Amino acid sequence: MPAPALAAMVVALLASAQGDAANEPSSPVTRRYVIERIQLDGLMRTRTSEVRRHLSTAEGELLDDKSVLLSRLRLLQLGWFSRVETRVEKGSERGLVVLVFDFTERNTLIVSDLVIGSTGPQPLYGGLGLSEGNFLGRGLSLSGTLVYGGPPADRPLDPARFALRGAFFAPDVTFAGLPLVFGLSALGLRGEEFTCSDPECRPFRGHYGDAPRLRYDRIGGELTVGLRPGPFERLLAGYRLERVSATSIPGATPGVDTGPLPSIRAGSSLLSALTATYDRDTRNELFFPTDGTRLALNIVFGSQALGGDYEYSRYLLQLESDHALPHGHALKLLGAAGAVQGDAPFFERFYPADFAYFSLGPALGRALELNFSTDARYDAYLAMLGAEYGVPLWSSGRFFHRGYLAIGARWLFSAARARAGRTPASRTPFSGDLALRLDTPVGSFNVSMGYALDNFL
Amino acid sequence: MTLRPQSFRRARGGARAPLLVAAALGALAASAAFSHDVPRTLPSTVEARGARLAVTLDLAPAFPPGLQKQLSNGLTNVIAVHVTLVPERAQEPAALYGREVDVLYDVWEETFGVTVKDPASPRGRQRTFRRFDELRAFLADASAIDLGPISELGGGSWVVQTRIELNPVSRELLERTREFIANPSAAGRSGAPSRSVLGAMASYLLKGADPGADVHVFRSPPFTAREVAAR
Repeated sequence: MPAPALAAMVVALLASAQGDAANEPSSPVTRRYVIERIQLDGLMRTRTSEVRRHLSTAEGELLDDKSVLLSRLRLLQLGWFSRVETRVEKGSERGLVVLVFDFTERNTLIVSDLVIGSTGPQPLYGGLGLSEGNFLGRGLSLSGTLVYGGPPADRPLDPARFALRGAFFAPDVTFAGLPLVFGLSALGLRGEEFTCSDPECRPFRGHYGDAPRLRYDRIGGELTVGLRPGPFERLLAGYRLERVSATSIPGATPGVDTGPLPSIRAGSSLLSALTATYDRDTRNELFFPTDGTRLALNIVFGSQALGGDYEYSRYLLQLESDHALPHGHALKLLGAAGAVQGDAPFFERFYPADFAYFSLGPALGRALELNFSTDARYDAYLAMLGAEYGVPLWSSGRFFHRGYLAIGARWLFSAARARAGRTPASRTPFSGDLALRLDTPVGSFNVSMGYALDNFL
Repeated sequence: MTLRPQSFRRARGGARAPLLVAAALGALAASAAFSHDVPRTLPSTVEARGARLAVTLDLAPAFPPGLQKQLSNGLTNVIAVHVTLVPERAQEPAALYGREVDVLYDVWEETFGVTVKDPASPRGRQRTFRRFDELRAFLADASAIDLGPISELGGGSWVVQTRIELNPVSRELLERTREFIANPSAAGRSGAPSRSVLGAMASYLLKGADPGADVHVFRSPPFTAREVAAR
């Protein structure tokens, strides 16, 4: 048989088999059983009402294998269960059946952030974030993250640097027939930004306790409500309120080597802003996506008309596109563009190192918005393009369920003003990474060369 | 007041950390290489029937007795069997045989109803079994599967590869059940990324559904046209 004919036969057979699987599974025997009762076994934490909301079949209906399978897949999709098995048992009389769902609940408390780092100004800092994805068994999310640095280097009596964030999120609330989302978050932060004239504070020769700085506190929160226009979309609107207090601390020799303060009002001020977010995520999964896109557009509008002290707007668009490649490999394309207009406080501007794998020079990606480096340059314009190549390594480990190697490169542009340049070190717009990503029952982990370069080199 | 003599970069740590990370990456990648499943071998006979190549397989290892609970669940279970003839050192099949078996246990009749679709009966033929061991024997039997003309073997070395899937879930069906219900990370606000050394991928609720499809892959020992026995 010639090869093309064989290939055609193979394709036809496969297509036939896949087509059958994709369409309704044909029952070998015609039967019309009525579901007398739906029994949910094995639920320890999850409420039965939450499970029943996601079923595609109901008591009193004819038993339909396809609806049972859809229900099972939907329940698995929630992430609350590691196994969902279904079976049918005899009902109270002939023609009636009991449909049984047997659940094995999974751990829904995961490590969302784990921060370890070291810099000259902060020899050791760390943090931990935990997220409960099925809070109260109702599918609610409750999360908290703490990053702690302690007093800055050479200033043991100074207050500790820390950031604490808590968030509550209800991703699937039905109100008056509308699919809504609701969120509430709170932030408490005490940080410092160096105000040396040189981003590396070189004149102080590593003795950072003598360097001038801005100490600031933030405390506030954000309330978010939104709609789910489609299964892959969210449209959110929110209001943010923060009390900010900032104090300039001169260096050991006042006036020497002191640069401009980061953009912020001295003393106590109020940030009051409206936020809007459109988020569309069609990726087939989060850990190792091989298909789909993610688009997130975020707009912040801060105004004195809202009772605040800052008049500004901030726009950030982030894109991701995932593609399957031969041999199970994957390609991720990334992009981001942002702009800030007006009198935005520095922490509402873009810190370029946040968007790079690593940075040449003193800048270091922030941890929960805390900057532990000497570089306090925040920019008003940002553009990023990147690509990441993923090579799956294994997919059936016991604790490390899955793992893949990621090789990435990013190009990053940022500027404080339109067409404004940066120092030679920070102007180098490329960064790369080699990382091992691990999927575990307690979260996804990222062992990254880029991070190590940034934090320990 | 003391001045630290070392440079800023040294103050941020040593150059050994990236090397350690690289070593750890390499070790983990190497250990992962051993975790791939190695295809098993099925009892099989490859023979010539006239000018055609026929293979007989005993699929029993793919249908252990413990499968009874699954196949007796009162819902339709789909078993897809694909047998391919592939060059020993390549992946592209030269011939393929496909069979789909739907098994439905009737909880009131207490019988296994079976529908088989294969090249001999593409529209399906039905059988009924009263006992699981009868069903199992039927499922395990794959006799005289036609894998094309022997002349196609040429002088190369070939293997028969068998893939058996229990309840494969189509991509289309999975797509229908997906929803964007991931929760936003507590760490990042307004899209600003937060740098974490390890856990950097929160928002974990949107997890690819693993419907638990059971897949068995078998691979025969290599053979050549000369070694195929004539019947």
